[in-house]
Amino acid sequence: MIPLTHFLILGAILFSLSVAGIFLNRKNLIVVLMSIELMLLSVNMNFIAFSHYRSDLAGQVFVFFILTVAAAEAAIGLAILVALFRNRQTINVQDLDELKG
Amino acid sequence: MVLAAVGVITVRNPVHAALFLVLTFFTAAALWLLMEAEFLGIVLVLVYVGAVMVLFLFVVMMLDINVAKMREGFMRLLPLGILVAVVMVVEMLIVVGAKTFRIDPPAPSPLEVSNTKALGNVLYTDYVYAFEIAAAILLVAMIAAISLTHRRRAGTKHQRPSDQIRVKRNDRVRLVKMKSEKK
Amino acid sequence: MSFAIPNFLPAAPEIVVLTMACVVLMVDLFIKKEQRFFTYLLSQATILLALLATLWVASDATELTFNNGYIRDSMGDWLKIFILIITATVFLYSRQYLKDRNIDKGEYYVLGLFAMLGMMIMVSAWNFLNLYLGLELMSLSLYAMVAFDRNSAKASEAAMKYFVLGAIASGMLLYGMSILYGLTGTLNIADVQQQLTTVPEGLDIAVVFGLVFMLVGIAFKLGAVPFHMWLPDVYHGAPTSVTLFIGSAPKIAAFAMVMRLLVSGLGPLHEHWQTMLIILAVLSIGIGNIVAIAQTNIKRMLAYSTISHVGFILLGILAGTKVGFASAMFYTIIYAFMSLGAFGLIVILSHKGFEAENLEDFKGLNDRSPWLAAMMLLILFSMAGVPPTVGFYAKLVVLQAIVNIDLVWLAVYAVLLSVIGAFYYLRVIKLMYFDKPDTQQYIKTSIDVSAVISVNGLLMLALGLFPGALMAICLAAMN
Repeated sequence: MIPLTHFLILGAILFSLSVAGIFLNRKNLIVVLMSIELMLLSVNMNFIAFSHYRSDLAGQVFVFFILTVAAAEAAIGLAILVALFRNRQTINVQDLDELKG
Repeated sequence: MVLAAVGVITVRNPVHAALFLVLTFFTAAALWLLMEAEFLGIVLVLVYVGAVMVLFLFVVMMLDINVAKMREGFMRLLPLGILVAVVMVVEMLIVVGAKTFRIDPPAPSPLEVSNTKALGNVLYTDYVYAFEIAAAILLVAMIAAISLTHRRRAGTKHQRPSDQIRVKRNDRVRLVKMKSEKK
Repeated sequence: MSFAIPNFLPAAPEIVVLTMACVVLMVDLFIKKEQRFFTYLLSQATILLALLATLWVASDATELTFNNGYIRDSMGDWLKIFILIITATVFLYSRQYLKDRNIDKGEYYVLGLFAMLGMMIMVSAWNFLNLYLGLELMSLSLYAMVAFDRNSAKASEAAMKYFVLGAIASGMLLYGMSILYGLTGTLNIADVQQQLTTVPEGLDIAVVFGLVFMLVGIAFKLGAVPFHMWLPDVYHGAPTSVTLFIGSAPKIAAFAMVMRLLVSGLGPLHEHWQTMLIILAVLSIGIGNIVAIAQTNIKRMLAYSTISHVGFILLGILAGTKVGFASAMFYTIIYAFMSLGAFGLIVILSHKGFEAENLEDFKGLNDRSPWLAAMMLLILFSMAGVPPTVGFYAKLVVLQAIVNIDLVWLAVYAVLLSVIGAFYYLRVIKLMYFDKPDTQQYIKTSIDVSAVISVNGLLMLALGLFPGALMAICLAAMN
């Protein structure tokens, strides 16, 4: 049987990767959105692992709702992205400099 | 899975990144099956791979992005990114990797226990309030996505039956008074 | 499988709002653009009904329902009442603004109502799940509202920044929640608190680890330095009517979130989060006040002033005493009304094809409309903390709470920086009263808007003179 710690380490690595992904991809907003999905996945991984090892269903219910919300979030994020692209013809993060101060 | 996740954030082409993300989700789903969360594992594949990732790919294709330009500055940021990742991983490993979470794995549940059924039982009873909120969230997402992206294009051609019926004779036929011509 | 039907009564306000929001959505589909006023009336009716429902179920006793996931207590009741009043005022102020800009669509009101619903859910959430869902309901509606003006590049840029940073914040918050769930094995806030009072040796570090992630998430949502980057951009880029909304009501909900998470759930860890909050508060008050001086856009200036006000709210919370929490609640409510007034005036001064965004636009306001200038004066005095306005009293009670726990240096620091901060408020006042206006254009306001803005402004003065009643409410709510 795989110990709980391994799942948690996997969750931690995924989480760090997603943060790094947000830092790295200064050029492409779509990849930033994907990194956010990755971050939520790592959280889900944690919840499911805990839920399994504690034999408690609440964690799985939480994951169920995170999945729902993440889908809604992706829809809104992409909608904003499309609106932005129509207005600016770019999704390059560094071009988004109209608001500074 | 980690390799796939690395792929998501480093590859050049957003389409490839999306496909790597699909791979990550598949591996995650497999791991969830191992942890007896069968329902969620399948939902992850169906909803994420099936719907959300298709949405992502759709947007990538629709926006038609200049890929080459995206690479500029990537190398410059790479050391910083790696540094951030490594520091975070080390810190987190110290905490979660240590002997903090020593919980013995539970005995595998017997075959006849259905994960889906158990989840369904609590979902509509104990968590009915959360369920209603989730419904509201999805409604908001729908309203938002439609109101943000739906627009009536100028210059599309379509029939307007009500206008056609309402047309009056005077709109179409103009009586021109002319002097009768002399012969 | 037996299942007792939960008691729905305590959630009556939420149920009313949800049902009516759907009704508004449907009705709006079937009416013409010229009849949009009807949507507006219906939204106001919704808020009125919800207010009545809140008053109807309100009582001193605390009730739990929905498998202990929902709490109705007197703090929740009062916060909900203020959220409802503020949202109603926001709708009132923004109607003309939306009409002038041709973004007067029913979705604005529907999304506003849903955001309000999210806030109410946050206020009375009693487990992590409901808190998170309420937060997301609020944030998702707000993201969409920021991007609402589809043809404005500025607005969609602001929405994108808000969205990305907000999503990261939720991710952080969730990661913290998952760690705490792993440690305690429960999502219920009261149970978490109970579990954490007896942390076994060696688990300390993991608890703090979860706490840090949660705190980062909260700080992002509140806009405390160093997690404040999104705030000025969003305030600046969003349509002013939306800025008005974001700047006021969600702060009350965020305060409720902090109370539920940190104070109720993680109360046993007070000594850990106190230090972190001190750092956040010191940075917020410092950077907020100093950077605000350099701004020329009044929306950005008010954004930085928000950051410094958030610092003050954190000061009250970190005191960790009953008086401290009550003073933080007082400050939050007052702050929400102040920013409602300030952004409300910006909305009023804007008219078709013109945004009153720059400080220059306030030049000689006194010549153009002495009454509006006087209201702005009261609100700005209150923000700066000049007696006898209520802002002074709010700052005073917070500082008292800090001094009471022997953090005198922190109080002195906060006072010094608010004096620096007073400079930029006074600059606006100087522009309004001593400079000549560039234009003599008459400012037209409808009767309802001017009545409400007057009440708003005079409230600052009245509460400053008689703060006792509201403070008593806040103290009672903390029991």
